[in-house]
Amino acid sequence: MKRSVRHSKNGKIFGLSEYIIKIITIIILIILWEFFSRVGYLSPLRFPRPSKLAITLWELMTVGYPIGITVWLHIKATVCRILQGYLLAAAFAIPMGLIIGRSYLLEQAANPVITFARSVATISLLPLAIAWFGVDELSRILLIAYGCYWVILTNTIQGVKQVDINFINAGRMLGASRRQLFFRVILPATLPRIFAGMKIALGVGFMVIIAVEMIGTIQGLGALIQQARFYYSSDIAIDGMIFIGILGLLISIVLDRLEQIMLPWAVGLEEVER
Amino acid sequence: MSNSSFGRRLWVSWAGFITLLLIWQIISVMKLINPVVFPSPTGVIKAALTDVPLNRLLQHIGISLLRVVLGFTIGATLGIIIGIVSGWYYRLGRVLWAPIDLIRPIPPLAWIPLAIIWLGLGEPSKVLIIFLGAFFPIVTNTYKGMVNIEPNIIRAAQSLGLQGRRLLLRVAIPASLPDIATGMRVGWSYSFGCMVAAELIAARSGLGYLIMHARQTGQIAVIVYGVILIGVINLLTDFVMQESIIKRKLKWQFLSTS
Repeated sequence: MKRSVRHSKNGKIFGLSEYIIKIITIIILIILWEFFSRVGYLSPLRFPRPSKLAITLWELMTVGYPIGITVWLHIKATVCRILQGYLLAAAFAIPMGLIIGRSYLLEQAANPVITFARSVATISLLPLAIAWFGVDELSRILLIAYGCYWVILTNTIQGVKQVDINFINAGRMLGASRRQLFFRVILPATLPRIFAGMKIALGVGFMVIIAVEMIGTIQGLGALIQQARFYYSSDIAIDGMIFIGILGLLISIVLDRLEQIMLPWAVGLEEVER
Repeated sequence: MSNSSFGRRLWVSWAGFITLLLIWQIISVMKLINPVVFPSPTGVIKAALTDVPLNRLLQHIGISLLRVVLGFTIGATLGIIIGIVSGWYYRLGRVLWAPIDLIRPIPPLAWIPLAIIWLGLGEPSKVLIIFLGAFFPIVTNTYKGMVNIEPNIIRAAQSLGLQGRRLLLRVAIPASLPDIATGMRVGWSYSFGCMVAAELIAARSGLGYLIMHARQTGQIAVIVYGVILIGVINLLTDFVMQESIIKRKLKWQFLSTS
């Protein structure tokens, strides 16, 4: 990250690098936490000690919670749901976005609908989805798809609109047919933006799934922490959150890598908000 | 832009909505699907007028907005302060960001169970969730703004003799205001979503409760009404935010060019 003038110290503090400072801080915090809960300042019911958390973590991986459903199964359930909803959304949003983005009139007509649909909080559709499709995998997947759909759609439309007019004119002048123009010029020029949208969408889907899983299922990371809440097992809730955080981090790292490999020409693209 | 073409644009922009509503109405009038399960637009309006008394509705809206405003205000205040401090004092910043970086990947909604264990089912747990929704985008953007200030602006101010706190207050913070504004707008929409989710999962009042309760009593038209209402309120509040922020941004940019 770029630093301002005040920070041009090579990123070193007392000769230590940024990462080591961070790790030391976190270790100190954990030790403090352990210490205060052993002394009795932190109630063990609400703030379980780190050592307890570590033991629970191991149990979650081997025995599982509820018994028999290990954390790996929870992760698998969550990831499967996200992927299904995400791919469903992408399959509809990208072609739709390409069509809308190419036509000024369609874009004008679609704009208010899209703005409104985006501001409908995806979670608020949960009761409706349950009423229509039951407390079922289908409603969960559709909700994720809804959340992802509008993000990918807006980014695709933006992408098509922002294609450099000179590229299109050059293509036309060189005699490209409409079809060639679309597949050889517009689509590749739009891809970085589509990818940016897909990246944000996955984050949105991840947020949605955690909340959706809290209702009516026992499989999935959201279900895991919600079950823990019913039995006041704060250690399981915190461990579940750790897994959620790691999964979220992994997803964003993988997507960044994928983008670098697949779209090397898309460097330094500003993301559309949300 | 000429008046007639503006009028045409307005008409086109409503055409999408009207077409959708018409399709919706036609499908439900044809009664392909049970109207109780799939209410028509007129059915939703009827339900809105009869099934939800206005004073109850206003109460729900009021309490929801109160929660969001409370959580957002705390989140924005803390986020801006921590963002500015950690962006300005480099060493302190590294230490402050270690725990923030650790919790940031966890979506705010994943805190709901723990918030309930910690704070119970009352208001504090909901405010905590909304706070988290606002805090992370705002602190991240504020920090980004503070760290990415154009170095020449700082150098110019320093060579003109500004130092320390005056440099921070007069130059650095104004320079990062646009980023803070972006963070606040994103934070608002996040905390709004968090409010709905928190109210769905555990509440006895508010818009989220309204629709979850309607599901239990099977009033699907009321759910649809509630969903639309949540969307409209989100849109309106976001519009107000954007207006106030853009005006501030413009004022700032105006100052920088003049």
